[in-house]
Amino acid sequence: MLDSVFNIDCGYLEGLCRGFKNGILKQTDYLNLVQCETLDDLKLHLQSTDYGNFLANEASPLQVSVIDDKLRDKLVTEFQHMRNHAVEPLGTFLDYITYGYMIDNIVLLITGALHQRPISELMPKCHPLGTFEQIEAINVASTSSELYNAVLVDTPLADFFGECVSEQDLDELNIEIIRNTLYKAYLESFYNYCKSLGGTTAEVMCEILAFEADRRAFIITLNSFGTELTNEDRKKLYPQCGKLYPDGLAALARADDPENVKQVAEFYTEYRALFEGAGNNPGEKTLEDKFFEHEVKLNVNAFLHQFHFGVFYAYLKLKEQECRNIVWIAECIAQKHRAKIDNYIPIL
Amino acid sequence: MGSLFRSEEMALCQLFLQSESAYTCVSELGELGLVQFRDLNPDVNAFQRKFVNEVRRCDEMERKLRYLEREIRKDGIPVLDTGENPEAPMPREMIDLEATFEKLENELKEVNSNAEALKRNYLELTELKHILKKTQVFFDEREGSLESGGQTSLTQNLLPEDSKGPIQLGFVAGVILRERIPAFERMLWRACRGNVFLRQAEINDPLEDPATGEQVYKSVFIIFFQGDQLKMRVKKICEGFRATMYPCPEAPADRREMAMGVKTRLDDLSTVLSQTQDHRHRVLVSAARNIRAWMMKVWKIKSIYHTLNMFNLDVIQNGLIAECWIPVANLEDVQLALRRGTEKSGSLPAILNRLSTHEAPPTFHRTNKFTKAFQALIDAYGVATYREINPAPYTIITFPFLFAIMFGDVGHGIIMALFGGWMVWREKPLSAKKTDNEIWNIFFGGRYIILLMGMFSMYTGLIYNDIFSKALNIFGTSWHGNYNESTLLTNKELTLDPGNKEQYDQYPYPFGLDPVWQIALNKINFYNSYKMKISIIFGIIHMLFGVILSVWNHRFFNKPMNIYCEFIPQIIFLTCLFGYLVLLVFHKWVWYGAGGADSVSPNCAPSILITFINMVLMKGYQPTPEGDPCSPYMYAGQFGFQRFLVCVGLICVPWMLIAKPFILHRNNKRKLMMSQANGGEGVIEEGGGEAAAAAATEEVHDMGEIMIHQGIHTIEYVLGSVSHTASYLRLWALSLAHAQLSEVLWQMVLRVGLTAGGTGGVGGVVTYFIFAAWASLTIAILVLMEGLSAFLHTLRLHWVEFQSKFYGGGGYAFVPFAFETILEHAETAVTE
Repeated sequence: MLDSVFNIDCGYLEGLCRGFKNGILKQTDYLNLVQCETLDDLKLHLQSTDYGNFLANEASPLQVSVIDDKLRDKLVTEFQHMRNHAVEPLGTFLDYITYGYMIDNIVLLITGALHQRPISELMPKCHPLGTFEQIEAINVASTSSELYNAVLVDTPLADFFGECVSEQDLDELNIEIIRNTLYKAYLESFYNYCKSLGGTTAEVMCEILAFEADRRAFIITLNSFGTELTNEDRKKLYPQCGKLYPDGLAALARADDPENVKQVAEFYTEYRALFEGAGNNPGEKTLEDKFFEHEVKLNVNAFLHQFHFGVFYAYLKLKEQECRNIVWIAECIAQKHRAKIDNYIPIL
Repeated sequence: MGSLFRSEEMALCQLFLQSESAYTCVSELGELGLVQFRDLNPDVNAFQRKFVNEVRRCDEMERKLRYLEREIRKDGIPVLDTGENPEAPMPREMIDLEATFEKLENELKEVNSNAEALKRNYLELTELKHILKKTQVFFDEREGSLESGGQTSLTQNLLPEDSKGPIQLGFVAGVILRERIPAFERMLWRACRGNVFLRQAEINDPLEDPATGEQVYKSVFIIFFQGDQLKMRVKKICEGFRATMYPCPEAPADRREMAMGVKTRLDDLSTVLSQTQDHRHRVLVSAARNIRAWMMKVWKIKSIYHTLNMFNLDVIQNGLIAECWIPVANLEDVQLALRRGTEKSGSLPAILNRLSTHEAPPTFHRTNKFTKAFQALIDAYGVATYREINPAPYTIITFPFLFAIMFGDVGHGIIMALFGGWMVWREKPLSAKKTDNEIWNIFFGGRYIILLMGMFSMYTGLIYNDIFSKALNIFGTSWHGNYNESTLLTNKELTLDPGNKEQYDQYPYPFGLDPVWQIALNKINFYNSYKMKISIIFGIIHMLFGVILSVWNHRFFNKPMNIYCEFIPQIIFLTCLFGYLVLLVFHKWVWYGAGGADSVSPNCAPSILITFINMVLMKGYQPTPEGDPCSPYMYAGQFGFQRFLVCVGLICVPWMLIAKPFILHRNNKRKLMMSQANGGEGVIEEGGGEAAAAAATEEVHDMGEIMIHQGIHTIEYVLGSVSHTASYLRLWALSLAHAQLSEVLWQMVLRVGLTAGGTGGVGGVVTYFIFAAWASLTIAILVLMEGLSAFLHTLRLHWVEFQSKFYGGGGYAFVPFAFETILEHAETAVTE
């Protein structure tokens, strides 16, 4: 795409997005937030930031869940505003972002249904970006092929479902496999779509999505130890659009314990650094946090380029990280467990 | 009036408040609105301040009031605005207020939840009613098809052909949102593999959603299926699509009975519902009567606590210490307000101390509704430095005048003045009608400027003798064409000779330009020369005035050196070069003309532009050519005098550049020597000497800075006086453009209408429409657009050309703590 014509269609939205990004909390805000004694203090401080009066109509005493909901509502409103104003190809791009949430929602609902929980109780827990018309009827399905034929065939996820149609009954392991297969197909499709857009968008998004793919590969491998998942099956779940493809993935498929995974990471500079500092002991950051930090870095870097769609994705992810941070701090305050309050991931 | 020439004198004061009386005192000061408090704990977080709990309680009250107001607005009950301004209630009354709001909120919530439950019930019954009504048709159809047997009906395929008796079909009936029907149907088909049969009918009237209160359209559906497994499945899907299912008896008699029952229950429910609504309405009406006053009270309390949060705690005397800026003229009022505040709470009096400070006080101009807009024009450029000369009072006259020079047209001026006058006349009702229309607010805020601009434009329009590009011949022109008819018919152009007594009356038109110029071919040449000259004249007078104003600044801030080293050379430079130019213009106007000697005849007049260029370039003496009555000089000794003026002007440049830094340097040196001499006497130890040396290096450092600063200043002034003089030519350029545009509009639009259609009625009709076009174009282009452009150019002439001569604009505005402004802000925030 020509940079010079980018602004005709997407200039307004990019400007809007960058404006929103400037409202992301700074390090000083976090320093103030962690000093809060109660959630009302937190509310008072958030009022002085870009969040403004988003909690003004909530009765005190505040609940963490209320804060969480409101944070998410605000983000969703912003995203949907951008989606409603988007023209092609940005519209498709933004839709692609929501597919990830759809996958999570489906898995959440099916798991809940397996545990005999009513759908109406589960619905509020679903991410509003990932809802679709048929979602509440999902418990009709008891096998994956039913799931596909009855529910998902009309949704955009149908394209990703091809590989996991089977007559087997849905159970925990099955669902996890479905989730990961779906996610693999989704990531690869998103990756190819970004690549087809070309230009800076491809440059920025492929970098971010490649990391996302690799992270999933690592996490799948680490979580699979001690389960009945065979190495063969595991290999099928790895998204093949990351930097690990093909050699790293092959090595991961052979791995048998966390040490092996670390050895695989050794060959890749950026991942070596992540694995080196990680640990579960106090004072050390968990691997998950390390991954999050790296993701934040990539997303912040996306804002250094102009005239591309990556900013929308990056903004959403950064804002989600911020919501996680605020909720983490709020939880620490609410539970009077201040020792770990500093374990949020600052957004640079 | 004093404060308009200079900002008011301010005093930094310290307030000692007893903790019991602090609240009432601040409340009184808020009503007074003349005190600006300083934040004494800027490093303290918002939630760590002393009165944060009170602020939070106010937030909570505000939330409840907002909830009330939303509910009131939902019911469309008018909110009573009596315009009264209740005082901030005492802190102890806050508990009463809180209790009242709490009670109201709870009552309302209870009523609402009751109403919602009732409404839900009502909705369910209505839906059931609809189901019973609509499904009747389906059942009838089925029975009909059963009876007729061979009829081709969709239902028939589901039923067995043989007459062993129908297989028992199960069915589910319910109501679903209309827009979900297609997806619902598809899903049913897929999930049940086509083994169900769905019929649906639309409910024509919209139903109210009890949760949101919105009107939604729904449809009745009935699904036939066979077997329990499918039943489970269908039910799940129905749940998934948020369809509500109702039991529907199979026997027609039962259905009829049920319908009857539903109807009576609906009637009962609607009476209960209307009673609930009445109750809710009563509660809201009584709340609507007070809500405005409550809001104001809460806002006042909140702002008081916000202010108290800026104070320091005096631990020993159990009081609060505040620092604030107060206009010296109002110290008495503040004292009185404090006394009232302490009397109210009945504690020890508050103490007000004046502090001495080096900090720059805020700038406070007391304005009224007339001067406010002009002050705003100045403040938009930069708020005046504390107590420097304020250009606003002069702007009141010069702004509309310079505008009018560009906008000189009686007709357009009248339109503008009428609009401004209307806004001034209807001031009160218009300002009471608060609107957030930004454009209107700008116009309304500048109503006095618009009125003055319109009136001045009428004046300059009369001078230019220009009304919608036509001239007015009020006093009778002084020129007469006495040519006979044949001359007039054969010659395209004829010249009128001002020397000829029959063609020119020898006295000018009494006021403004002679209307004959309107039809003259050399009109543009004449107007150009005239308008160009007056732009230069007014420009130079304007700039000279600005330079002279700087004297009052220098004298007030006690900087005599600036007068000798800056003001005097500046004024000499400007008058020697450009002031002289103005004199030349007048000389030429007076000296040369028809009917005099040959040497002062019009064709002998030398070009002022060329004369001035030659003067500045110091061109050598030009002798009068042999036999030519015209001399290149306008008066005897002009050459020598001009040389002298240029030399004086040139001397001023190094004077401005060097004198001030040199004197400063010498003074510093003297001071340094004095201190060294003192040090030599051994009174001050080594440390003192070191300090002096340090001071000296600092001064040397400063010297460089001063030199650079002075250099920039001088270059700016010298180059500026050339470019600024040229910049005033925009007065001519815009005036010309305006006159030409209005002439084009007349010639190209209105004249078409006036000449069309001959004498018949057609011409009138054409003119009717053409006039509309002409009038709207006149308003849109000439008055609005041209007016805006002339306004901006005038603004620039004031900001750049005029104010750069004396105005610093490095101050900050005085923002007093006043309930009035706080309430206004809160009000607009609410209406948004």
